[in-house]
Amino acid sequence: MNCEEFEMIGLDAERDATLSEAARAAAREHSSTCSRCAALQDSWQAAGAELRAFAEDTAMAEAPARVEMRLRQGFRTQHVTLRVRRTAVVVGWALAAAAVLAGAVSWRNWRHSQLEETTNHVNSVPPVNKTQKNNSAAGGNRQIPAVVPNGMPRPVSAGAGSSETLVADNELSGFTFLPGAFFVDTEEAAILRVRMQRGALGALGLPVNEERASEWIQVDLLVGGDGLPEAVRLAQ
Amino acid sequence: MRIAEQVSDDVLLRRAAKGDEEAFTLLYRRHQAAMYRFALRMTGNTWAAEEIVQDVFMTLMRDPKKYDAKLGALGAFLYGVARNRVMKHLERLPREIALEEKNEDGTGSGIVLRDASTPATWAEKRERMQHVRAAVLELPAEFREAVVLCELEEMSYEEAAQMAGCPIGTIRSRLHRGRALLMAKLEMFRDVPRRARAAR
Repeated sequence: MNCEEFEMIGLDAERDATLSEAARAAAREHSSTCSRCAALQDSWQAAGAELRAFAEDTAMAEAPARVEMRLRQGFRTQHVTLRVRRTAVVVGWALAAAAVLAGAVSWRNWRHSQLEETTNHVNSVPPVNKTQKNNSAAGGNRQIPAVVPNGMPRPVSAGAGSSETLVADNELSGFTFLPGAFFVDTEEAAILRVRMQRGALGALGLPVNEERASEWIQVDLLVGGDGLPEAVRLAQ
Repeated sequence: MRIAEQVSDDVLLRRAAKGDEEAFTLLYRRHQAAMYRFALRMTGNTWAAEEIVQDVFMTLMRDPKKYDAKLGALGAFLYGVARNRVMKHLERLPREIALEEKNEDGTGSGIVLRDASTPATWAEKRERMQHVRAAVLELPAEFREAVVLCELEEMSYEEAAQMAGCPIGTIRSRLHRGRALLMAKLEMFRDVPRRARAAR
C-alpha cells in the first residue's frame, strides 16, 4: 500500500467493513513504516476523538415539543377536512341518485296512468261496422235517420258520472262527414260524445225526420283541431 | 385505543394514512430525534433543523404512499427526505452559518452542550466543540454529509451510501476529502491559541 492509498482507505481501515483483512494488514504495515502517514493517522485520530465528543454532546438532541404539537394539529386538520369532503361527496351523489330514482318512478307512474286512461277511453268507444265506414267515406250522410229540432248539442255522460268525454281516438270507423268537411287531421281530432235531440242534426246540415225530431239520441262528434265538428256517428 | 410499542413502522404508517393520530404520533416519536440530529448537524441551526423535521413528517402525512416498503425501511426513506430538505436549505442559505448561534432567549449556542463539571472545563470544552462544529459546518455540503453520516451518525459506509444515494466508492472519496479539510481546519483552530501563546 502506498501513501495515496493509505490516505484514501487506510485511515479508517479498522472501521471499514468493506475492506478485506489483507487490506487492513497492509494499512497497518504502511503506517508503521511511513512516518508521514503515521502522523496523518494520529492527526485523524485526534480529529475523530473531537468529532465523537461533538457527536456525544448532540446525541440527545431532539426536536422541540412544539414541532409535535404543530404536526398533530396539521394531522387533525387534514384528516377532518378529508373526512368532511368525502362525506359531502357521498351525500351529494346519494341525493342526486335519489332525485333521479324519484324522477324515474314518477315518470313511470305518470306514463302508466296515461296508458290506462287511453285504454279505458278506447274500450269505451263502441265498435262500428265496416259498411258504415265505407258509406261515410263516400260522403253519404243519409244513414243518420234521426231528425231533430234546432238546438245546440248537449254534452252527455259517456260513463256513469262524467258529463263530457273528450277522447283522442284512432278508431274513426262509422263516422259520416258533415257537409263541407273533407279531411280530418286524425292527430288533432277528438271524439266528443254528446246527447242531443235528433232535430239538432239539421243544424249540422244533416237530413232530419221531422216526426222523430224531439227524440233524444247520443252521437259521437269528430271534432277537428279548430274545434269544429267534422263528422258524426250514432253512438250504440 | 393504545398502540403497542413494538408495532412495525409499516403498520403504523397504514393506520396513520387512515387517520389514526396515535399511530402517526408514535411514528414521529420513533424517528424525530434521528432526523433532528441529522438536520442539526448538517445545518448547525436549530430553527432550520426544526423546520426540516416538520417538513419531513408533513410530507409523510400528506402523501404516505410516497414511501414504498419494498425499497427500504421507513427510517431510510425519512433520511432521504430530510437530506433533500437539508440540501435545499443549504442551497438557499450558502453563507448564513452563524458560528455563535443564539437560543430563543438570546443565550448560548443552538447546540446545547452537556456535562459541565467546572466552569473552566465547561468553557474549554465549549470552545473546542464550537471549533469542531464550525469546522464541520464549513465543509462543502457533500463532504459534510459524508462526515455527518459516517462520523457523527456512525453509520457504516454501505448505510451512508444508501442514504446519500450514491456508490460506496463515492462516499469513501467524499469522506477522504472531508476528513482532509476537517483535519486542516481543526489543526488551524488548535494552532491559533498556540501561536497566540508563542507571540506573547
